[in-house]
Amino acid sequence: MRLRHPLLAALVILVLGGLLSLVLADYRLRLLNVSVISAIAVIGFNFAFGLAGLISLGSAAFVGFGAYSLAILTTAAGWSPWLAMIVAIVVTTLFATIIGTPLLRLKGHYLALATLGLNVSFTIVATNWIGLTGGTNGISNIPGLSLAGFAFDDERRFLWLALLFLAVCAAIAIALQHSRHGRAMMAVRDDETAARMIGIDVTRVKIAALCLSAAFAGLAGVLFATHMRFVAPEDFNYAHSIVYLAMLIVGGEGSVAGAIIGAVLLTFLPEWLRFLGDAYLAFFGLMLLLILIFLPTGLIGLATRVRDLAKKTAKRSTP
Amino acid sequence: MADFIQLFVNGLALGSVYALAALGFVIVYSATGVVNFAAGQFVMLGTFSGVAMMVNLGLPWPIGYGAALLAMVAFGMLFFTLVYLPLRASPVVTVIIGTVAVGIILQNAALLGFGSWPFRLTSPLEGVTLDIAGAVITAHAALTVVVTAVLVGLIWLLFYRTALGIGMRAVAQDMEAARLMGLNVNLLLALTWVLAAVLAGIAGLLLGPMWFADVNMGDPIALKAFAATIIGGFGSLPGAIAGGLIVGLTELLGASYISSAYKDLIAFVVMILFLLVRPQGVFGERIQDRG
Repeated sequence: MRLRHPLLAALVILVLGGLLSLVLADYRLRLLNVSVISAIAVIGFNFAFGLAGLISLGSAAFVGFGAYSLAILTTAAGWSPWLAMIVAIVVTTLFATIIGTPLLRLKGHYLALATLGLNVSFTIVATNWIGLTGGTNGISNIPGLSLAGFAFDDERRFLWLALLFLAVCAAIAIALQHSRHGRAMMAVRDDETAARMIGIDVTRVKIAALCLSAAFAGLAGVLFATHMRFVAPEDFNYAHSIVYLAMLIVGGEGSVAGAIIGAVLLTFLPEWLRFLGDAYLAFFGLMLLLILIFLPTGLIGLATRVRDLAKKTAKRSTP
Repeated sequence: MADFIQLFVNGLALGSVYALAALGFVIVYSATGVVNFAAGQFVMLGTFSGVAMMVNLGLPWPIGYGAALLAMVAFGMLFFTLVYLPLRASPVVTVIIGTVAVGIILQNAALLGFGSWPFRLTSPLEGVTLDIAGAVITAHAALTVVVTAVLVGLIWLLFYRTALGIGMRAVAQDMEAARLMGLNVNLLLALTWVLAAVLAGIAGLLLGPMWFADVNMGDPIALKAFAATIIGGFGSLPGAIAGGLIVGLTELLGASYISSAYKDLIAFVVMILFLLVRPQGVFGERIQDRG
């Protein structure tokens, strides 16, 4: 399942998702929408973490920044959601540049804790700047998206739109990952000093990775806002950043397919565990821990290992 | 003035709890390189082992505190065996998520065991107040400061005056070299986790009477302990103490003199400023980009 070709990946997403949209019932469709939106954020986060190796625990703040920007522009300023969408993504990316430039001098767990602090600060501001954000009540009555009279107003229709965005994002991400820029990011991740030696502008690459992840997170945020039609601070607290990170690790870091699989799996997993009643979250934590211990390279890594093993066995049987 | 003294002492008491939580976090980090995102849940577990022993079982406080701390010792060993050992060869980020997963397990297990209603864990000095220059201070707040000071002294003695502590420091400095010198590295690492769990346990028991015992109390504590660690200096024991006190004082003084809604933001702004201007914190870590 290592999709390297951008167009092929987009096609697979559209066909698979489209088929699912026809067979699933309403509640499952809602979950699928949530996982598609998360997948966009996680694909973005993969630039920062999977490729450039930046341990950021603040991606939910960028998603929230996008969602709140759209919510405020459409409700308080009365903008069209499409225009607000573009502006929200641009504003989120700018915000990431301004915040990221000083923070990206930090490394490893320093960066992790700084971005965690950033995410907590975002929640505090969203909760307390009541005049702008509505405080804990959040912002409701966010208008939905529609195109030429076709309103994406139920779960199935929204899914078609979300899948389209996901397909485009995945294609862009795969193309970038296998380009010069993607390789530069990986070089920075693997050895910063060596990367600098061969003439890579490390700071610029890091900021580019963060901006890309913020742009994807911003898109996820505006989709979230137009899907839920409501935003509130707790939707973007730091626990969500950790879930995004967990999605990427469970799926397989450094891979777009892994990001999507992780997002879908971790969105549906709590639902599959509903039969456990109140114990399901404790069980969810346990599953996560077991995956980390026994599948350190994620599900994509497992697939690769199985394929390599199969190849080896095939070689051995045909001398 | 009386108001200020009262705030100051309460800030010191809260800061002491943060300092103990940060101390456990730092001891583990220096010895194992693990950034323990379950540190807050360790403290919550401490409070709830107190609840289990003294509220649910009704043990008298000297026995109850002892039993609660023994439970934390057992927890520390369990954590070492079931989480640290299997994950120790993994990359930093996997370990981070692993500790987060443990935090989720602990928080929800506590929710299953104790329910979402907060408990009241009383202090042995319940209702006793002190009068200092017109300021009314609960004896529990004063006790918290004293207990922390004594513990800090004991930890200093452990690390600098006993063979055990010196061994733990040797492991923290260079695990391989310590192994070559014939130290039982696994035992020392296990002791490190136990010590961290006990410190968190004491922090939890001291915090119980100040806040309500609530299964969701772990996250806010963890965030303050992280801020304290950054402000004091990652991996530095005196830094954890100074950072804890700074965060506790900032929280209470800031809530009263600046804005109670933004009291937590003040601590994080101070933390981010430290990261940008002096990432090594007040006391500084020797190796800067470890991990």
